[in-house]
Amino acid sequence: MLRNVPIRRKLTLIAMLTTGGALLLAGAALIYFDVARFKKEMASDLTTLADIVAQNSTAALSFRDEADATETLQALRPQGSIVAAAIYDDQGRAFVRYDPKGGMIFPARPENREDAYFRGGALVVFRPIDLKGQRIGTVYLRSNLAELSGRVKVQAATVGAVFLASGLAALFLSSGLQRLISQPILDLAETARTVSEQKDYSIRAGKRGADELGRLVDAFNEMLVQIQERDTELQRAKTELELRVQERTRELERRNEELHQSNKELDDFAYIASHDLKEPLRGIHNFSNFLIEDYADKLDDEGRSKLETLMRLTRRMETLIDSLLHFSRLGRVDLAIDQVDLNEIVAEVADSLAITLKETGTELRVPRPLPTVRCDRARVGEIFYNLVVNAIKYNDKPEKWVEIGATEGAGNGGGPPVFHVRDNGIGIPEKHHDAVFRIFKRLHGRDKFGGGTGAGLTIVKKIVERHQGRIWLESSAGEGTTFYFTLREGDVSA
Amino acid sequence: MAFLRRLLPAALLGLVALPLALPAAVRAQAAASEQDVKAAFLFNFTKFVEWPSAAFSDDGGALQLCVFGDNLVGKSLEAVAGEEVGGHRLAVRRVEDPGKLAGCHVLFVDPSESVDRTSQVLSSLRGEPVLTVGDNRGFLDRGGIINFVLEGTKVRFEINQDAAERAGLKISSKLLRLAVRLTPGTKPGP
Repeated sequence: MLRNVPIRRKLTLIAMLTTGGALLLAGAALIYFDVARFKKEMASDLTTLADIVAQNSTAALSFRDEADATETLQALRPQGSIVAAAIYDDQGRAFVRYDPKGGMIFPARPENREDAYFRGGALVVFRPIDLKGQRIGTVYLRSNLAELSGRVKVQAATVGAVFLASGLAALFLSSGLQRLISQPILDLAETARTVSEQKDYSIRAGKRGADELGRLVDAFNEMLVQIQERDTELQRAKTELELRVQERTRELERRNEELHQSNKELDDFAYIASHDLKEPLRGIHNFSNFLIEDYADKLDDEGRSKLETLMRLTRRMETLIDSLLHFSRLGRVDLAIDQVDLNEIVAEVADSLAITLKETGTELRVPRPLPTVRCDRARVGEIFYNLVVNAIKYNDKPEKWVEIGATEGAGNGGGPPVFHVRDNGIGIPEKHHDAVFRIFKRLHGRDKFGGGTGAGLTIVKKIVERHQGRIWLESSAGEGTTFYFTLREGDVSA
Repeated sequence: MAFLRRLLPAALLGLVALPLALPAAVRAQAAASEQDVKAAFLFNFTKFVEWPSAAFSDDGGALQLCVFGDNLVGKSLEAVAGEEVGGHRLAVRRVEDPGKLAGCHVLFVDPSESVDRTSQVLSSLRGEPVLTVGDNRGFLDRGGIINFVLEGTKVRFEINQDAAERAGLKISSKLLRLAVRLTPGTKPGP
């Protein structure tokens, strides 16, 4: 209930409750003991009074002088608290009665006890009347408790007044003194709030004394020092890390640049080398041709056969050099990026391969229309051409087919479209999945599956990479191969 | 109502009979108790009077209540004989001969005694520590100390302070207060 009351109010409340409780207890004890003492005093006074009455009524009782006895009792009148009095003779008969207010019921006979006692809201006493060692009668006095209740009222009022006054004083004092405890706590709370809001760990809480609260403030400040140190350290580490990352990035950029440079040099070298190689090769080929044409009759069959082999090899070398030239050109020439409808490209590829498809009995499938993307029209055509040619070439099934498709948007997690060329050919063992992209790498004999330079997939990979794309394949031996590739440069448009 | 109706005749009968019966009964009762009351008063006087110590043969000596004359009061006094008052045992003695009054502390002179005999007894006791009590108009004038008087049916008494002083007796103020008449002087206030 008090849990959420502010500390200031709590402290004041504690002081007030403590003061109030102690005061009430003290007041109650005071009244209780005073009432007990006063009752004792009253009893003693009444007994004394009864004894005086007894002493004064010996003669009246002895000589049965009712007038005198009555006079003696009437003398009690100034004692307003005496509401009834009586004198009994030695036979226990009422001799005279004093009934100032009237209507009082008197005990028929005196009681056989001499000490005053409280009964029925009154103090009652029976005292013997002794004369010369002989008991000649009894005095009865009855006193009301008006004085007692009046006294209790006055005391209760006094205690109440003191309670109120000291309550106000306690409220005044405690609301001043509670600051001794609450203020440092409030300051500390405020400091903690400021620190956590502004994330400024250089702030320090003010210390007011060397008590527990002072120690708390010290501990808090010590904590802040540690946090600040750690914060600084963290900041330094972060800065250092950033610097290191920048350094690394620069280094990587530099290396990338170097790599790019050396790649370009390599391309240039390959181009120049292959271009220069073509000259003497053409000479060899031409002179071999002259030999066959001009000296055919001078050579025997073996000579002619060797010359023909020489010519075939020069042709083959020319093809290889052409491929190399082509490949190196891919690395040197800029791409002509444009909006390209892939359906057109695939149609062109199908046209140019129509005869081959027919001869090999291969079915080219395009189940769904392909998207339009930004790319180099001729190069991407080359990709499809090369992949379809490969698919047709490496197939031993009686019913061959090649499927071209694309997976877009949701189908591949919202990224760029993934194109695929799938066949039901011989498949590629997994260990060769990387090797197939190496230039002039052939998995089969020179004349098997129609031969080739082994540059096709290398060129495909080069074109894909120039488009910031990626190429990979899935295959199971004997069942078929699927090549996948992406063209990062190409945006999909509807 | 039935109860009241049954009671009513008896009550009426009582009311008629009462005036006839009452005087005689009251008079008889008063006559019977008057002697007892006086005897009791005599006894009680001893409690409010101090005798000089010489009046007693020794400390534990008897206090003699003497009755001179008729013994009606004396008879009632017999009841208190042997009681102790202030350390003295009470003795009741009847005296016929005025010459045998020695040793008396209280002397009640019966009203049936003649004025002469009364005066003779009183003058013989003048200056002696004897509380003389009479029941006769003029008893105090003749030197007696206390005299019974009747106020209606109530027994009262008067006191001659001079006589008491002469006899060397100290009478308690409480007793003086009850006296209907004090000689000389006025009755002390309550």
